[in-house]
Amino acid sequence: MVDHPSDSHTIARYESTRGYTQGKRALGLTRDELIEEIKMSGLLGRGGAAFPAGLKWSLLAPARPSYLVVNADESEPGTFKDRQLLERDPHQMIEGIIITSIANEVHHAFVYIRGEYSKPARRVQAAVDEAYAKGYLGKGIFGSDYVLEVTVHLGGGAYICGEETAMINSLEGKRGEPRLKPPYFPAAKGLYMMPTIVSNVETVSNLPHILAMGAGEFSGLTGNADTGTFMTSLSGHVNRPGNYELAHGITWRELIYDVGGGIPDGKGLKAWIPGGASAPWFVPEEHLDLEITKDATAAAGSMLGSGAVIVMDEDTCMVKAAERVIRFFAHESCGQCTPCREGTTWLEMILRRIEEGQGRAVDLDLLVDVSDGISIGLVWPPKMTTICPLGPSAVSPIIALRDYFRDEVDSHVSNGGCPYKTQTRETSEKTSEVDRPSDKDLMPSSERGSGGRPPEVAE
Amino acid sequence: MSEAKLVTVTINGVESQVPAGELLIKAAQDEGTYIPRFCWHQRMSPVGMCRMCLVEIETPRGPMMVTACTSPVSDGMVVDTESEEVKKAQEAILEFLLANHPLDCPVCDKGGECPLQDQALAYGPGESRFVEIKRSFEKPIPISELVLLDRERCILCALCTRFSEEISGDPLIEFQHRGNTTEVNTFPDLPFSSYFSGNTVQICPVGALTAKPYRFRARPWDLQKVESSSLQDTAHPRIEIHASQNEILRYTGVDNDATNHGWLSDKARFGYEYLRSDQRLTSPLVRRGGELVEVSWTEAIDTAANRLDLIKSEDGGEALAVIGGAQGTNEDAYAISKFARVALGSNNVDARLDDALASHFLSASVDRATIADIDDADTIVVWAPDLKEEHPTLYLRVRRAAQELGATLVVIHPRATGLDDRASHKLTYRPGGGYELLDELANGDHPEVSQAFAAEKVVALVGIASHADGPQLAESVAALVRRKAVHAKLMPLNSRANTYGALDMGLAPDLLPGRVGLDTIGCANLAASWGDIPAVIGRDTRQILQGLDSGEVRGLVLVGADPINDLPEPSIAVDALDAAEYVIAIDLFLNDSNRNADVILPASGFSEKEGTVTNVEGRVQKVNQIRPAPGQARTDWAILDDIATRMGVSLGLASAEGITKEIATVSPAYEDLTWDSLEWDHRDGIVVPIHGAQAINHIPVALQGSKAPTAKLTLHVARVMYDNGVRLQHSPSLHKLGPGAVAHLNPGDAPSIGARDGHTIKVVTTRGEGEFTCVLDEGTPTGVVYVPFNQQGASSLGSDPVVRVTTS
Amino acid sequence: MSRWSEGTQERARQIIARYPEKRSAVMPLLYLAMSEEGYLTGDGMEEVGRWCEITPAQVLSVASFYTMYKRERTGQYLVSCCTSITCMLLGGDDVLHAVEDESGVPHGETDDDGLLSVEHVECIGACGGAPAVQINYELIEGVSPEKARQLVRWLKKARPDVVNSDEMQALFGGRTSFDWGISEKSGAIGPYPAFQPLGTVGSEAAD
Repeated sequence: MVDHPSDSHTIARYESTRGYTQGKRALGLTRDELIEEIKMSGLLGRGGAAFPAGLKWSLLAPARPSYLVVNADESEPGTFKDRQLLERDPHQMIEGIIITSIANEVHHAFVYIRGEYSKPARRVQAAVDEAYAKGYLGKGIFGSDYVLEVTVHLGGGAYICGEETAMINSLEGKRGEPRLKPPYFPAAKGLYMMPTIVSNVETVSNLPHILAMGAGEFSGLTGNADTGTFMTSLSGHVNRPGNYELAHGITWRELIYDVGGGIPDGKGLKAWIPGGASAPWFVPEEHLDLEITKDATAAAGSMLGSGAVIVMDEDTCMVKAAERVIRFFAHESCGQCTPCREGTTWLEMILRRIEEGQGRAVDLDLLVDVSDGISIGLVWPPKMTTICPLGPSAVSPIIALRDYFRDEVDSHVSNGGCPYKTQTRETSEKTSEVDRPSDKDLMPSSERGSGGRPPEVAE
Repeated sequence: MSEAKLVTVTINGVESQVPAGELLIKAAQDEGTYIPRFCWHQRMSPVGMCRMCLVEIETPRGPMMVTACTSPVSDGMVVDTESEEVKKAQEAILEFLLANHPLDCPVCDKGGECPLQDQALAYGPGESRFVEIKRSFEKPIPISELVLLDRERCILCALCTRFSEEISGDPLIEFQHRGNTTEVNTFPDLPFSSYFSGNTVQICPVGALTAKPYRFRARPWDLQKVESSSLQDTAHPRIEIHASQNEILRYTGVDNDATNHGWLSDKARFGYEYLRSDQRLTSPLVRRGGELVEVSWTEAIDTAANRLDLIKSEDGGEALAVIGGAQGTNEDAYAISKFARVALGSNNVDARLDDALASHFLSASVDRATIADIDDADTIVVWAPDLKEEHPTLYLRVRRAAQELGATLVVIHPRATGLDDRASHKLTYRPGGGYELLDELANGDHPEVSQAFAAEKVVALVGIASHADGPQLAESVAALVRRKAVHAKLMPLNSRANTYGALDMGLAPDLLPGRVGLDTIGCANLAASWGDIPAVIGRDTRQILQGLDSGEVRGLVLVGADPINDLPEPSIAVDALDAAEYVIAIDLFLNDSNRNADVILPASGFSEKEGTVTNVEGRVQKVNQIRPAPGQARTDWAILDDIATRMGVSLGLASAEGITKEIATVSPAYEDLTWDSLEWDHRDGIVVPIHGAQAINHIPVALQGSKAPTAKLTLHVARVMYDNGVRLQHSPSLHKLGPGAVAHLNPGDAPSIGARDGHTIKVVTTRGEGEFTCVLDEGTPTGVVYVPFNQQGASSLGSDPVVRVTTS
Repeated sequence: MSRWSEGTQERARQIIARYPEKRSAVMPLLYLAMSEEGYLTGDGMEEVGRWCEITPAQVLSVASFYTMYKRERTGQYLVSCCTSITCMLLGGDDVLHAVEDESGVPHGETDDDGLLSVEHVECIGACGGAPAVQINYELIEGVSPEKARQLVRWLKKARPDVVNSDEMQALFGGRTSFDWGISEKSGAIGPYPAFQPLGTVGSEAAD
């Protein structure tokens, strides 16, 4: 990511770095050859579930038409890698779309970009238009008779649409509610009930490189079981936040202190979220020297997920941090299944109560018990009572409170409120006498829609 | 069903054989293990949303928690529905559901029959630890004229939203918002005006949806219940009648495979209010000096019998006639038939009101389709009235077949119908142009439709789509379908729910009980029991009315009939009843046709008598009594038996059950039919066969018809669900739902006429004229004026399709 | 019978043509409806229902699921302050308070002039440049409470017809999640995303 040309999003620049040569080359390869190459590369899906990309292609049911949906609905707190890929390197993704489409006999692909990413969406649309103008997309790509239409679709503000079946519902013009799996596996009954590949932006963007360098070289980028590079979005209390493309296998200590430049003001590290807001939290005493691989992270009870790492320093209130993460999931719960709809908001309400000084000694046990009703036994991977993993994701902070920060919850209860309140990073704001909203005004998600109460339709 | 493969599953340690592919929740239930649930319904696709039915199944990676409502059984499946983890999950789900559920059970209609209440008791944690503030919504809001919604009670099971989308096809009630603020609601100012809205009240697992006609009227444990079949729908959907202190409080749908799958139209569900109307006739009335006066039954019967006897002795039975009988039981119809033939000595009897298909075609078509045949059909042809308006149960079944079961649906109608969105092919034609379209089809001008006709299993629902084409068109359509598909099954349609039973009992001038013709061996057999039967084919309703007008027919008995409001050409009835020498009416209410009658006899109505009825497919079911008839009202058969006796003729009718036995004796189709078998062995009824040496086996024939009118505008008059019929007039909840005096025009026709939406227009035909509110509507083709039949405040326009429209 | 201008109708036809089924165009058409009237009205939803051949209740069901289809009158500038976990850790709540205080508009509300709407939102993918704010979905990263006040004052005073991410970043932003590359002039013209197929991209930044 160093020395990224400032015009990297243009087709001229992309082609000057031999862009679109692999998309054209793919036209000459068979479906089986392409699947084999991607399988050999070991490429894992980068949306969070880390499913092998080549295997996903091979599982596509034979019915046609088939569709490709590129998941650019990046919304997991802490994650901003796809935004960079979309905004700075849209043609790389488009070439990946061409390769994926050819391999899976797709003639209509969709790029589902979250609605709040308007500049990235404009860049992608402009790039798609450029590719159409050059004949790389549309009817007869690269002079062949292969038809490939690409529609850029803007989301409407719903994290859950990043879940592949919810995204398909959303693309069909429905509420973004996840579908039941079984029977609605996208590979068999996806968009318009036809076989569908849903792939993350980063996954697709890797494809031109895999074809260019060959599967062997790609998989050899690390000496690890997790092949290739991965993008991580590093944020929070670190000196150098940002997106980093790294080889799997470095340690958390290296990531936070070497890559990220350590904690600002030389403060201590209290905890970090290793793989997006869904992931159970890590603490320095136990996890700092673990290698960053899928398996090592899973063995320690968490996941690399979306690749987002959120670092929290020693002055961070864990109750408030937990509340903020859970508020997110409560706000983004689609509401169709009971445990997620009711449970996430309940957790949020209890945490807010504790933070505001209304905590009771029984509340931590209650938090754990409510979480238990969403994710039975609070084991990893979760034993879900829900349709999709959103609800069980929300309980990750509760596991951290139970295992590592019980005393912090207790002190909130005994202190009658947040002990960190006095030392939060208050800026030199002058506060006006009227209308200065307090933390209390950050209402529970149940009372917010788009940041406020869901507006009623004009009567 | 018998060919279903069986697989072995182990549920809580007990092995059993269940049909492969069946959902675990259903398979377990059939094997005696009830898995709690809220969002699952066997007639709808599973959504797995409430999560109440979580169970554990064994997998190679250990026990896995799955929802039983979304998991098909597979061979060797091992299921635990009672493990500690399952119990933990069930308790958690119930605690979550109750967290925001109000504790207003004592004032909730559902209290006492509430699945949430019941399951909280059986599987819940016993206490709630939710100390936060509950979600609050404005308490019940009306979402239609019939249904109220309490969003605080709602547990978001999506039964109502799925019903309206999947089953009835009018998605007007939907989930809104998301997450913890999710609610069910309609679009503002766009009510849940579905013809089927009441079903959502019945399937709601809490008291979120309540029905205005029932709200706060009873507690479930105080209700008396009896099963019956609705006579407000030609399919005779199975219902349960709930009453308290002799007053009917509600009908609920009973799930059966044969007819309605548990669903009811709102007309069938809420159409009981008329029974408790204070306008019911409760005493016999006789006209004295121009005034109707209350008299004793003896006096009324004497008066009626004497006059009938006099006319009979002067001019013979041909001077007497009976119209009606399509709204009561088969036993009543049989009594009318026997009364006309034996007591009056006349074949002038008709249950149809000049708006029906030929009697043989309706009653005795060979290869008549059953409702279940719709499920198996490759192609369904509907050239008939809009099923959604007139045959709601059939509408739901056809809709399901096209939507879920893969049938090719061909809809042919003069304008938009409720099935169009599920039709593979829709043909629209100008009223009166039916024969031209039929010729085109015969010539193969619509190849895609011809291809659909040529499928293996074809079911054709045929009826009178437009009176402009006359009643014979449907028979010609049937003949064409048969020509294209030799094994096609036919379902001839007629409005008025027990027309089929009435015809089977011989309430047509050319039919005798048991689908027997006047000139057949069956007639001779019947005569052995009845005595002499007049040999000449009698008059149908139109001919009876014309005879009254001309004086050839002098006396008329009207049994539950209102020709002035029901005839397509009401002027015929008006003139006839004006001119009639003597009219005796047996009815529940005074109506426009019997208001000037000479003798008016109060009759018992639905739920006030027992008997059998026969639906559109020939299915005989039992109807039952739960309340006494009001005042001195009596059954039709008893009244007619008394009149006959007083005329010196014994009909020998002593009880309804006795009549059923007599029917079984004299009618080949109904032999072996007993109340016992209907009550115990065949609660869903028995489709009576039409074979038998004595019975008619009618094969439809192509008939010639007219050319399409060439006028600029043609009139299309059609019945809609809510009209101004006398029973609806006395059912306040439903009566206001009719569209009223409206005339629909295509927006493209509006400018040349000067018509504007919502403004008054004048519609003029050769038979009548009137002012109507203009509705601009894309569903009405250009060149067509569509007027709903028999609406409050609307003038009759007759059936001549030539029409003029002006703006003043 | 459409309520929309011929130009908007043509755009609706083009959008529908981008999808295999009409109903898929619901979401872009909802934005189109917003751009017609400034926010999503009942009339707008009924119109979308006609184009997509679904009932208004189904349109509302979809529209209300997502946060960006504003069904209440919304200001010319929608100020969205991220208070999700990373932004919260780095002072996002203070930025929100500063915006509320400077504008006098509490979150979830719109001022009387219809100029500003303020909301707090969940993660907007700018965690590397936290705390972040969006104006009509045009992003500004590394916003301090003081810069947030300046931003509000600027919006009130300059009232730009088009708000543009690059321009506002230069004026009010700080650290970014990554190098943004060359800057652009295009931006948003109302409280909905600026996106070519919707015809909502303003091409000139304001003076």
